[in-house]
Amino acid sequence: MDQKISMENIFQKLGDLKSFFVYGQKLIPILQKILDFMQDTVPLLENVNRSIHESTSKMPKAALQINSVTNATEVATTEILDIVDGMTVDVQGMHSKLDSLKKKLGEDDDIASLLTLVQKIEERMMNITISLQVQDITAQQLSSVNHLIQSIQEKLGGLLTELDDKENGGLAVDDHQFPRDAAFNADARYEKNTSSQELVDSLVADNLTKASQSEIDKLFAKQ
Amino acid sequence: MALKFLVVDDSVTMRRIVANSLKTIGHDLYVEAGDGREALAKLVADDSINFVITDWNMPDVSGLELVKAIRSNDKFGTIPILMVTTRGLKEDIVEALQAKVNNYVVKPFTPQILKEKIEQIISSAA
Repeated sequence: MDQKISMENIFQKLGDLKSFFVYGQKLIPILQKILDFMQDTVPLLENVNRSIHESTSKMPKAALQINSVTNATEVATTEILDIVDGMTVDVQGMHSKLDSLKKKLGEDDDIASLLTLVQKIEERMMNITISLQVQDITAQQLSSVNHLIQSIQEKLGGLLTELDDKENGGLAVDDHQFPRDAAFNADARYEKNTSSQELVDSLVADNLTKASQSEIDKLFAKQ
Repeated sequence: MALKFLVVDDSVTMRRIVANSLKTIGHDLYVEAGDGREALAKLVADDSINFVITDWNMPDVSGLELVKAIRSNDKFGTIPILMVTTRGLKEDIVEALQAKVNNYVVKPFTPQILKEKIEQIISSAA
């Protein structure tokens, strides 16, 4: 009887073993696929790591190049302003000569039309000067981009230093240093619409009203 | 009394544009400063300055810090201040008004806007 039970147990175990082998046969291709995937992925990850290293080390140079663009536009804008100033002096000279001519010759259609033309030129030159404010606004936008690049470089640099194995000797950063962080408004916009100024005017008016009320309150408090 | 302006901006371009705009609206007297620290030094050195036009975003001492420093000074604490800046958000404007700027202009501006604000400040002070 005992022998019969033992044999049943052995057959049971053999059945389990057979199931295990069948399961193993199914599992082996999956494991093989995982291994293949890892073999493909490791070089890719190494490539990504190398790319991040290279990009991170180039960031200070990119920031310096952006800075040199700002400097170049400032120089060019100053040159344009010099030219506009020179032209303004010339046009103002023309204006006063025409005024003198008008006094000498009396009312004259040609002089009147020339004076109108000169006034238009003066207005247009002032418009050029006003439009050149774009240089300051874009300089602030570029400073904001530089600040962003610097922040990303610091984050990536920290991450790579943590991930890097000691053999690689840490992050190799380009010799170029970041330009000095300039003061900027990240929201600077070159917009000629008057909505921002209207908001200012309403807030200033509101502020003045409050100030007047507080003065009235002070006066009543003294009585 | 003739107005003598102190134009404070870290951008050479903007100082030039503000100065040109002042000339256009009939004000030829002005001195310049590149940041808040230089502006304070000029105010201390030159008693004839009686109007400040300042930017906000400047290195070292910002425009807002300059306004606070001026307002806490016994010698020139009541000088009119006009802030000319790219900052057009409500909270910025409120912060500047709380710091006691007399008026506020958002860039880009025109000489007409500048004239209007200067006249408003002068007439309210009179």
